[in-house]
Amino acid sequence: MGLTLDLDLKKCTSCGACAIACMDQNDIDVEQGIRPFRTVFDWENREKDSPKFVHISIACMHCEDAPCVTACPSACISKDRETNLTIFDNTNCIGCHSCAMACPFGIPSFNEEGKMQKCDGCVVRIQNGLEPACVRACPVGALRLVDTSEIEGEDKETSLQKLGREIVEFQT
Amino acid sequence: MERIEQLLKAKIPCKETGIEIRHTICDICCPSFHCGIDAYVKDGKVIKIEGTKGHPMNDGLLCTKGLSNREYIYRKDRILTPLKRVGKRGEGKFEPITWDEAYRICGEKLNGWKEKEGADSVMFFGGYTKWFRPWLHRFAFSFGTENYATESSTCFTSGLMAWKIATGRAAKGDMANCGVFLGWAFNPYHSRYLNGKKADAAKARGVKFIIVDPRVTPAVEKLADIHLRPRGGTDGALALAMANILIQNGWIDREYIDKYVYGFDAFARYVSQFNESNLEQLTGVPYEQAVEACRMIHENGPMAINESSAPLAHHKNGMQNYRAIMALSAITGNYDRVGGQQPITHTYIHQASGYETREEEFFESVRPVGGKKPVGAERFPLWYATEGEAQATDLARQILEEKPYPIRAMVALGLNLRMLPDTQQLIRALEKLDFFVDTDLFLTDAAKYADIVLPACSSFERGEFKSYPGGYAVYTNPVIEPLGQSKSDAQILCELAQVMGLEDDLLKSGYENCVRYIIQDLSVTVKQLKANPLPTLVPERRPYVEGAYIRGGMKTKSGKFELDSCLIGDHPEWGLDSLPTYCEPLNQADEKKYPFTLCAGARIPNAIHSRLHEVPWVRSLRPDPTADISLEDGEALEIQDKDDIEIFTEKGSITVKAHPSARVLPGMVHMYHGYREANVNGLLDGNHLDPYSGFPAYRSARCGIRKKGGEQNGINS
Repeated sequence: MGLTLDLDLKKCTSCGACAIACMDQNDIDVEQGIRPFRTVFDWENREKDSPKFVHISIACMHCEDAPCVTACPSACISKDRETNLTIFDNTNCIGCHSCAMACPFGIPSFNEEGKMQKCDGCVVRIQNGLEPACVRACPVGALRLVDTSEIEGEDKETSLQKLGREIVEFQT
Repeated sequence: MERIEQLLKAKIPCKETGIEIRHTICDICCPSFHCGIDAYVKDGKVIKIEGTKGHPMNDGLLCTKGLSNREYIYRKDRILTPLKRVGKRGEGKFEPITWDEAYRICGEKLNGWKEKEGADSVMFFGGYTKWFRPWLHRFAFSFGTENYATESSTCFTSGLMAWKIATGRAAKGDMANCGVFLGWAFNPYHSRYLNGKKADAAKARGVKFIIVDPRVTPAVEKLADIHLRPRGGTDGALALAMANILIQNGWIDREYIDKYVYGFDAFARYVSQFNESNLEQLTGVPYEQAVEACRMIHENGPMAINESSAPLAHHKNGMQNYRAIMALSAITGNYDRVGGQQPITHTYIHQASGYETREEEFFESVRPVGGKKPVGAERFPLWYATEGEAQATDLARQILEEKPYPIRAMVALGLNLRMLPDTQQLIRALEKLDFFVDTDLFLTDAAKYADIVLPACSSFERGEFKSYPGGYAVYTNPVIEPLGQSKSDAQILCELAQVMGLEDDLLKSGYENCVRYIIQDLSVTVKQLKANPLPTLVPERRPYVEGAYIRGGMKTKSGKFELDSCLIGDHPEWGLDSLPTYCEPLNQADEKKYPFTLCAGARIPNAIHSRLHEVPWVRSLRPDPTADISLEDGEALEIQDKDDIEIFTEKGSITVKAHPSARVLPGMVHMYHGYREANVNGLLDGNHLDPYSGFPAYRSARCGIRKKGGEQNGINS
């Protein structure tokens, strides 16, 4: 049990506010080609007669059994004892991208020095009584910091975590 | 990592990190918002921002655009000193000069032309974001001319005029208490985001939503019980047909009409020609759908209607369409009632806060008499009659033709070169001016045509007065020092007034003292407001009283809601219709060559005009200038997602990425504006304007599209 970030796909409008808040929090230099931690999709199935629109904002899914943790040969990635969020210390990162290969969602990004970086759930903000930057910014209340036990009862239309679990099951 | 390093990296505001939270406001979009911001400041620099919790406007939230404030205020092209042009106009070669030197040159030039040809030879123009407007307005008047224009020549005012003509006052829809919301051009999730929160709450309450929009937007996905999809600019025909349906079915409020509405019989006769026989052909909306929408209005009142600043106004028939839509409020008895459309008066810079200031008196008390009529007054007489200022869409023409008289110099604050249609015409006009001073945060392409450029600072670097809905007022304090030698626009105007020796002691006494004048009738003082980091409730606020305005007699000639305008009827020489008549929106270009309808400026969530195109974070969400087209048209022209396509008109062509989408109606092309490398407004005809308001028809112009390189393949339609 622990915390994770979840998205209500029905509330999301792909406005991108969360992505910008994340860039501001984490000083992402997009001009240097650094990939932001959070990505927003405004997806549609492109069918004229039965169009379907899907809004997604995705960053690290903070998997309970995170494959990146075991994949890293330098033990940079770990689960936070208090929150169970997937955190990292990239001091010893050798830039091998093993984490990225292991991640079912293609999340890890790499900084100017080639070292891995990603969403840490704003764990230090949480420790200090603040919300994660993206959750704080979401103008429609689609992004939430939730207890992982809450996911079980959710529907995949209203829970990216639930949808993510299905995708992982499908992949494995 | 050490604890202190962790705290610094996470930007935790506390003693150990030395990071402080200071309150300011966003100044990226229009003054209807200007949301409260918590600036995280360390060593005099903003290192992060958030929305201010407990702020009466945004209560902690910010939109995509507002969240990019840090990169916006530190944009690389911020101007840090006054500049004097040393290269050719438009070339961008400047040398830094002192403020004294800059003011001296401006004073000599402006006073020089005033002496030679009169004050009316000088034009004053205010661009985004309007916060300095009362000062520029007063400056122009004290200088001696009515030649004051703003970017509201193309935004908001058209709807305001429609309301002034009908009722003498602005209005707003009371979504919080309505039973049905007519969301005409309503997509708050990508523009004016705080209305999205209100719409979500209304939806949860069981309010019915009718969304009228050619696009399938997130508002359609989330809210619409009925979605009507008229082709761009045919909104008037749809509204008139809806009026006819309501009348035919007796779904109107006869007693209310008899008491408070003027011109109903003539209106009812006129709308009878918009019916089952022609609605779908005129608008694309099936008649049965319009009937269903009217039934929903009838069964679920009260009805509130979305007020729109741009999408409905940006057509040749924009103001008449707006009048037709708002007529639905009158005939159903929904005007001036709880849950309906409510009359408002503006407190300060287009913000209705429920109390009065002396903003209008601040400039009206020095309005010059006996001068020439301002730019655009002859061509757009209704505009001049209701607004009493210049219409900027006629500015370039007057500069170039010198008719009815020459304009020699211009003082602009934040002029956007790509704001108006036909960019080349404006460039030729700027090149012709003898003197042009522009004030801006950034060395924009418009500033490059100026002789003198003055560096303005952002809202983070100044203190300012501002009113908010619900009876609030704030006077902010700067959260950082101004960058370089930049100053607030209002301070610049007050200082220039001193150097030029304007006979205006109040203006010369500075910004803060002018605010004292403006809020003199309030029991809160500048000092008290400054001491409160959050907005203060003003004791003079008054709540809305249902029906008070209609019962007291509206400020129109008939004293009623005028469906048939006496103001227009009394001036046959204007050649305008007193009823909200409908005409086809498109321009006269060859339909075979230009079979598509171009909608320039359809909102995207990560841009507002051109001001965020150079801000890397928000630009990264949609990096390429991109046109949304329909799946059908994409298929027919063999255009795939991200293909390069050309959009072309008689004025030229631009190359952009294509995004075929089920969101778009066949035949329409939606393209956002303000891109340097793909300037869609440059494709528009400068004379395709609304004769009532002077507004450009940005959103309904004939165009063609073709796949880049497709000319040889015969793909070009």
